Amino acid sequence: MRRTHYALALVLLSLSGCARGCTSSRPPIHLNPNMDVQPRYEPQAGSAFFYDGAAMRPPVPGTVARGELRDLVNEAPYWTGKDTAGAFVASVPLEVTDAVRERGRQRYDIYCATCHDKGGDGKGILFERGKVPTPSFHIDRLRQMPDGQIFDTVTNGLGLMPSYRYPIPVADRWAIIVHLRALQARRLERMGGAAPVQAAVPEAAPAAETPSPQVTP
Amino acid sequence: MPQGSSSPSVRPREHWRSLEQLADTPEARSFLEREFPVGASELPEGIDRRSLVQLLGASLALAGLTGCRKPVENIVPYVTPPEELVPGMPRQYATTMPFGLGGYGLLVESHEGRPTKIEGNELHPATAGSASALMQASILGLYDPDRSTQPLQKAAGAAAPEKKTWADFVAAWKALEGDLVAAGGAGLAVLLPPAASPTLFRIVAALRQRFPGLLLAAWEPVHEGNAIAGAALLAGRPLRPSYDLGAARVVVSLDADLFLGEQDAVANARGFAAGRRLATEKDEMNRLWVVESAFTTTGGMADHRLALPSGRVGAVALALAQALGVPGVAGAGEVPGVPEKWLAALVKDLQANPGRGLVVAGRDQPAAVHALALAINTALGNLGTTVTLREPADVLLPSPADLAALAAALQGGSVSTLVVVGGNPAYDAPADLKLAAALAKVKNVLHLGHAVDETAALAHWHLPEAHFLEAWGDCRSSDGTASVVQPLIEPLFGGKSAIELLGLLATGEDKAGYDLVRETWQTLLAAGDVPGAFDGAFNKVLHDGLLAGSAAPAVTVAPAPLAPEALAGLAAAAATGIELVFRPSSAVHDGRFANLGWLQEMPDAVTKITWGNAALLGVQTAKKLGLANEDGVRLTAGGATVELPAWIVPGQAEDTVVVHLGYGRRAAGRAGTGVGVDVYPLRTSAAPGFVAGATLAKSGGRHPIAQTQDHGAMEGRPIVREASLAEWRHEPHFAAEMVEMPQSEPLWEQHQYDKGPQWGMAIDLNACTGCNACLIACQSENNVPIVGHEQVRRGREMHWLRVDRYFSGTPEQPEMVFQPMPCQQCENAPCEQVCPVAATTHTEDGLNAMVYNRCIGTRYCANNCPYKVRRFNFFNFTKDTPELLKMAANPDVTVRSRGVMEKCTYCVQRIQSARIDAKMAERPLADGDVRTACQQTCPTQAITFGDITDPKSRVNERKQNSRNYVLLAELGNKPRTSYLARIRNPHPELAEG
Repeated sequence: MRRTHYALALVLLSLSGCARGCTSSRPPIHLNPNMDVQPRYEPQAGSAFFYDGAAMRPPVPGTVARGELRDLVNEAPYWTGKDTAGAFVASVPLEVTDAVRERGRQRYDIYCATCHDKGGDGKGILFERGKVPTPSFHIDRLRQMPDGQIFDTVTNGLGLMPSYRYPIPVADRWAIIVHLRALQARRLERMGGAAPVQAAVPEAAPAAETPSPQVTP
Repeated sequence: MPQGSSSPSVRPREHWRSLEQLADTPEARSFLEREFPVGASELPEGIDRRSLVQLLGASLALAGLTGCRKPVENIVPYVTPPEELVPGMPRQYATTMPFGLGGYGLLVESHEGRPTKIEGNELHPATAGSASALMQASILGLYDPDRSTQPLQKAAGAAAPEKKTWADFVAAWKALEGDLVAAGGAGLAVLLPPAASPTLFRIVAALRQRFPGLLLAAWEPVHEGNAIAGAALLAGRPLRPSYDLGAARVVVSLDADLFLGEQDAVANARGFAAGRRLATEKDEMNRLWVVESAFTTTGGMADHRLALPSGRVGAVALALAQALGVPGVAGAGEVPGVPEKWLAALVKDLQANPGRGLVVAGRDQPAAVHALALAINTALGNLGTTVTLREPADVLLPSPADLAALAAALQGGSVSTLVVVGGNPAYDAPADLKLAAALAKVKNVLHLGHAVDETAALAHWHLPEAHFLEAWGDCRSSDGTASVVQPLIEPLFGGKSAIELLGLLATGEDKAGYDLVRETWQTLLAAGDVPGAFDGAFNKVLHDGLLAGSAAPAVTVAPAPLAPEALAGLAAAAATGIELVFRPSSAVHDGRFANLGWLQEMPDAVTKITWGNAALLGVQTAKKLGLANEDGVRLTAGGATVELPAWIVPGQAEDTVVVHLGYGRRAAGRAGTGVGVDVYPLRTSAAPGFVAGATLAKSGGRHPIAQTQDHGAMEGRPIVREASLAEWRHEPHFAAEMVEMPQSEPLWEQHQYDKGPQWGMAIDLNACTGCNACLIACQSENNVPIVGHEQVRRGREMHWLRVDRYFSGTPEQPEMVFQPMPCQQCENAPCEQVCPVAATTHTEDGLNAMVYNRCIGTRYCANNCPYKVRRFNFFNFTKDTPELLKMAANPDVTVRSRGVMEKCTYCVQRIQSARIDAKMAERPLADGDVRTACQQTCPTQAITFGDITDPKSRVNERKQNSRNYVLLAELGNKPRTSYLARIRNPHPELAEG
């Protein structure tokens, strides 16, 4: 008799645990921890130690990692889009190969097409749904803009456009510009116009840009 | 039994691990027979204070029920991500570890802005890509949970210090400095460790200019002063010698621990090993002669070794100089303990190799011996090839005389403000100076230190010091190469570096270390006026880790004959009593690393003692006093007495006692406090290296010592194989032929591992110096926990790679061989065959894989492993890990919990990472893409790893060497790791028949 009571109590208890279908705001019961959560810091983890709660720390300003050296004296156009005098460079300081063109197309479709659309008309999905005022690339102002200035815009952002320096490495930014120019050239050809001369020296560089790394701010 | 049927000319050597094993006591035998010693599976009885470390992890409570629910984990990305940083892909930063009178170039791996692993910088001359055990473990210093977190001020008469801020300190200093400037610096004193740093040198010069009456002393317990003073005796001015062992065919060490104790140990070891690579039988081999008192790893590498008290080494140097005809040397008689034949052979060897010899005197030998060594080198024409003298640039030279003057001034009450910049003089200053007591007489003691240590307890202001991994600075290594110390993370606790504190004192401005360093380097780099040129040059130095071509030029010296007074005291003095020798610990150095658990648990290279020190004695000395291991002894010298456990070291010079510095700390944190015995009270400024006339008495107590030398011993079988050079040339394959392979076919079809890559490893016993760098590197890379003193006594140390040490010969004059022992990754692994749950399996590329979450802890695999390389987590050693120590863990490696087996994995995370990189770059894996942690850090490059199916790989080259043999091959388990036999190169006149 007592055995049946115990058995019944056990069955009722297990059924009351709401085996399936209940919602709870608490995390699930996890009886066997099994090294699922380890005492180490993982990428994108939180931290109980740092003031901002993040385990990922920014590199100390002024330091240079191995393989991340930028020759800003001899290769300034590549890293900043400007020559040493501070003027935007007119053309991409890269050897343009098919690989670069293909990479540029791929990266453009990933990062730029959401706003600027795949043809460069500025009517990407974010324009349609979010009404961001993206310009078309097929206007004289943007056809005449030097490549270095486009690089600068991609790196630092402009107006509502955020800075893309973090998702897009430097080499890919130039590849995207190559692709952008190709889009402009093809549209111009279809419309039957002549290629305009790009402005060699701009009036003034835009102010208040975030400095490149490896230079004392 | 070793058959050796085809090699009668190779003299059989019997190797033994300890005196107990040699005596074959029943305890020793039972210890050997059991994989886990008696009581290993039992719960510890009383938990003593020292077990606090393993109690951090060893929880006896049931797991998991304290928090049944899955912990909430948040995804916390970067708000402003750094450019070109992919979370999960580590970056490397070149920096320098300032140490002693120089620095070591390092390449530190950083995961998302936190340093996690230290490697050597392959471009830097001091390390050339390797890192010693101390360098590897220094990352724990950054994440030390017991380091200072904020400035503390103890007002006069207050019981406890108050927490303050750096701004409070700056204000306090401003209040003080007015008077000090007005007094011209009278009453101001600074005590700091010697350093070679351009910025520090410049700031100290500025400090002296601002305070002309400043009393400054640069001193630390273990310093290079004698070597520099020796050069001064010879050349008339202080010069720094640096050595190139790679260019030497004959190396003579006069009590110098070249490969572990000296400043340039890593570079020395690398150069020396290059001279005995022995790729073929026709290759030449260098020869090492060692005269020393303690048995060091250098003595282990020696081809000829003499054990003499350190006080008699000077006489040997004198006799050697006289025999070689060094001008101005006379009056050397026969030295007791040095056979005529031995010295004659040494002289012959040196004379046969003019310009390719090298004589080095140990750091603790008096300046006269260093001068003699230099004079010998000059006479032999070694100056410029194996020895180079350079002007010390940007160096704060160590000066015991300045320290004594400072102590006198403190005692006399003429110092009102003492600034102690790093170091721990209250703990390690010479006992006769009574510095700790003198500090009480100073009105303001300002201390910059890593932790609230013995000196901080006596200070009025204690400021947390920034670790080198979180501070800006610069350094010059021993050959003058300049490099910058760049931080990998912002200071964790707002610590300040020495240059920042002294910069504030010297200028009154609170300038950041970054600006101070850049100021110095403007002049150093002299890049010109082109805009961006300085930044470009400076960034290149930061990227490479050194300024190329900045080594100081060699100085040619017209040596003056040595003054006879200088040499007077060196002639052999009559032996009086016991000689006490002080040596820095290979683990904690002078005590600064006491709280680094990895180092406390690292077995001392020769004695294999962990968690403490002992009074090391020679065999006959111990017998005379009736002492056995672990017996308490009372050691008296310099007017003080300490009690230590005794430990017998075969091969140590008779009538000497060797003690290691750096133990017995009173305020070192959870791992260091109370570990070992403080021997600094015995050390006086007159005799900091060794002192005659010490007395030793049995105290009747017993002190348990945790040592690893008898764990996992392998009995009676030829584990280490060695021969002399002549024997090897006669019988090249002696090593592989020492064992008869059974003539039988396997019962079942063997798996063919022929599709590349197949991983294999070769370890060259001829290059291994036993320094334990690989052990610590593995621990750092693979998140291997420490277990504490009690658990080490039970044989539960967790090191995946252990370095076994074997003696051969007589207990009084043994030879020593080291053998690193990682998991052998057997193709027919005995462990895989017995696991009931298939938690250990074999991968396609030849690794014996360990699946942690499948393991249920039967430990049958460890039982079956013939090499005893499997380690079991008896407790959850990583439970309750302090938050800071979690940052030190490698995110690519699982942190194991209780109840799982672990073992060397050939750094499978590095293999996978290299595979992914190669796949993304669409190229096949190349030789050298994967480097295991042990291989990368080894100073002598003894470990080679790679693809054995690649005919051109370096590991195949090593395995083709005739010295190659596989351990326990007769068991048929086909290990992927093989060893290259040790070869000794005795002089033909001294070679045994």
